[in-house]
Amino acid sequence: MNAASKQQSIEDALLKSKKFRLFGLNADDIIKHFFAGNATIAIVVLALITVFLFREGIEFFPKHYESLRLYRWAGMEFVDYLKHESTDLSALNRMTNLMKRQESEVLRMKGLSQAQIAERLAPLDAFAAKFSEVPDGLNGLVADLTEIPVGILDRHKMCVNAQSHKTLLIRMGKIAEANAVKVDVIDFGKETAILKTFLPQCTEIHAKIKQDIVGLMSAIPDFESAEARATSLLFKKLALKFTDGIPVTEKKMAEWNPGEPIHFYRALTDFIFGSRWVTQSFWYDFYGVVPLFVGSFMISLLAMILAVPFGVGAAIYVNQMASKCEQNMIKPYIEFISAIPSVVLGFFGIAILGESVRWLTQQSCLSWVPFFPISERLNIFTAGCLLALMAVPTIFSLAEDAINNVPKAYKEASLALGANKLQTVVRIIVPTALSGIVAAVLLGFGRVIGETMVVLLVAGNRISIPDFTAGIGVFFQPAHTMTGLIAQEMGEVVRGSLQYRALFMVGILLFFISLFINYMAQKIVTKYRISAG
Amino acid sequence: MEIQEAIMNYSKEAGSQHGQEPSGQNAGVTGDDREARILIRCDKVNFFYGQSQALHGISLEIPEKQVTAFIGPSGCGKSTLLRCFNRMNDLIDDAKVGGGTIKIHGVDIYDPKVDVIELRKRVGMVFQKSNPFPKSIYENICFGLRIAGMNDKSVLDEVVEKSLRGAALWEEVKDRLHDSALGLSGGQQQRLCIARAIAVRPEIILMDEPCSALDPIATAKVEELIHELKKEYTIVIVTHNMQQAGRCSDLTAFFYLGHLIEMDVTEKIFTNPKEKQTEDYITGRFG
Ligand SMILES: Nc1ncnc2c1ncn2[C@@H]1O[C@H](COP(=O)(O)OP(=O)(O)OP(=O)(O)O)[C@@H](O)[C@H]1O
Ligand SMILES: [Mg+2]
Repeated sequence: MNAASKQQSIEDALLKSKKFRLFGLNADDIIKHFFAGNATIAIVVLALITVFLFREGIEFFPKHYESLRLYRWAGMEFVDYLKHESTDLSALNRMTNLMKRQESEVLRMKGLSQAQIAERLAPLDAFAAKFSEVPDGLNGLVADLTEIPVGILDRHKMCVNAQSHKTLLIRMGKIAEANAVKVDVIDFGKETAILKTFLPQCTEIHAKIKQDIVGLMSAIPDFESAEARATSLLFKKLALKFTDGIPVTEKKMAEWNPGEPIHFYRALTDFIFGSRWVTQSFWYDFYGVVPLFVGSFMISLLAMILAVPFGVGAAIYVNQMASKCEQNMIKPYIEFISAIPSVVLGFFGIAILGESVRWLTQQSCLSWVPFFPISERLNIFTAGCLLALMAVPTIFSLAEDAINNVPKAYKEASLALGANKLQTVVRIIVPTALSGIVAAVLLGFGRVIGETMVVLLVAGNRISIPDFTAGIGVFFQPAHTMTGLIAQEMGEVVRGSLQYRALFMVGILLFFISLFINYMAQKIVTKYRISAG
Repeated sequence: MEIQEAIMNYSKEAGSQHGQEPSGQNAGVTGDDREARILIRCDKVNFFYGQSQALHGISLEIPEKQVTAFIGPSGCGKSTLLRCFNRMNDLIDDAKVGGGTIKIHGVDIYDPKVDVIELRKRVGMVFQKSNPFPKSIYENICFGLRIAGMNDKSVLDEVVEKSLRGAALWEEVKDRLHDSALGLSGGQQQRLCIARAIAVRPEIILMDEPCSALDPIATAKVEELIHELKKEYTIVIVTHNMQQAGRCSDLTAFFYLGHLIEMDVTEKIFTNPKEKQTEDYITGRFG
């Protein structure tokens, strides 16, 4: 080969312009553009989802604000003062029943016959009967008053409809017809004035209630059972608290002014801190996310309490102690759990877990446990257990990775110094992998809080803040979650209505929670990479 | 038999005085090394990784308070034998000693009754790649004591200082004991590992190419350190550096393809080896 042709062949090899090309791009460029395109699509889709979520959700605020204003203007706020009292009294009434149950339980344990028990409980029955008559006057008044705001709201709605009809006609050019539509304007101040005229009657009723309650306090009979006695003490305390609260309510009612402005921020604060979520009621729809948040949080918390020890423990075992054969068995097995569809897990939760837990708590040998027997089959506990099952594979895989990344040299050094396996794991492996493990736990938490199907099926779906006075028993109460609620209500909601927007707001809240958790996990993982490097 | 025992006992006493009397020790090196007490005794040790045999019938004796160097080409089984002495090979699946015995203080360390934890406390190890824990310098040194249940701060402080001084590191790190050990230089990390190993006061220190990742100055420091440690500890060191073996060991063993070719006083190995293979390896005419 002469020098010139050698030079030529080197040039051919080095100059890429002479190689394969498509649309003026060589292979490397095509591959680069292909992946860039994929990344762009992913980002655009994510952005679209976020924008859509916010666009739909953001209108919640004006609508909610409007609804809050109507609540005051139409006098619902005023009536609700009394309604609160009425619900408080019925709660007290329920307590008398509780006392009766506790007492008869103890008497039965003592071996008394049915007739004897009835005889012993007679004074208590008489007391309960009298107490149940206390709220009668109040309930009557509430029933009367309820009509008023409802009527006002109806008329207001008609006016709004007429107005929108008129605008529509004008827009269609039918001016004459539009002029024919008469639009009233409701003067809320005048309409609600009538509410205030009930104040004297209200004061009268209050005075009577107070007198009744104070009179009845001395009539509470004594109890055989310690539990019932404790309940009765609590009952007394709450009843007195109720009577003490009466002047406060009266003052509020007297000072109530339908014209008082509502700050706009309440549209947000009532959503975030509101303790009631009531929709499609004939009275007023409350959109307070706290019960849902608490439900989600408690279920996730329980799930994590169960899943973290199992997931991390299994990861440590598999990585550090198991033999090769065990590793090959356990790893795919745990990862297989995540392949079970959540609906199937839900079936299992309802049919087996919920049933058997309830059956277990009903056994007489376990009756000494304070909150047993539990009455609800579907509750926070069932949901928490199933979610834990779903979180274990995530936590396990990631924690196992983290532990696997701990340099083998650390383990050798530790063992060579005379540490046993447990000491090595506890003092060297886990601390070194800790940030990875924490990240695994956070990602598991993210998975749990975003899970829908299982909680919808087995959480019991009662929208109320669980009763924390029940101690650990709080975990055996039904609850509803943010995810479950969205899934449940989204199907039947009117598009564009306040409720629809509210569901989107719940979605946005979830979005932020997940974002926050993932952000924390990422942050910890990056820190971890540096420390292990 | 009785005479032999008497000699053993005598050398035991002599050995314990070696620490204070360097002259006595020199006698051990230059003269008959039988005089020193034998601490580790291997008898026809075979070692297998699964099916493949890494050591073939190794028999050797390692005397107390001397430095024994293992040399030989890569893959000849030096590390394997070293790791047999503290049973670190137990960590490897399928690896096992198949035939032969290794006795330390006359106790067969592969006896099922042997407490491996206790063995490893007595036989410390320094690895080729320095591996301090991602903890503070102080905690690294304390680790061995803490796992043994010692939490008395004054004792720990004392041991930390003593060990760091012993490893010639104290002056360099005394102001930053509570900083991360990963912030030290490679040479300092290796000396920290030595300090960590001597903190638990083992009898034997195994070193697997402790200087392979160090520059000449750090290497010199570690060698100096080995020389110091010899007064109190029995040291077995694996090295690829002939000069190093010559400088700091009393005895040298040459391995080839899993066989022990020759073991003798270092001077003799380097000046007048019995075997041709040894000579070739040492002079660099190998392979
Ligand atoms: N974990 C293992 N599994 C299987 N075989 C191994 C293992 N470790 C070492 N071996 C084999 O055992 C033989 C001896 O290895 P060893 O590490 O003891 O050599 P070495 O003398 O220390 O070499 P070097 O000087 O390179 O460190 C080699 O052939 C090696 O391939
Ligand atoms: Mg080696």
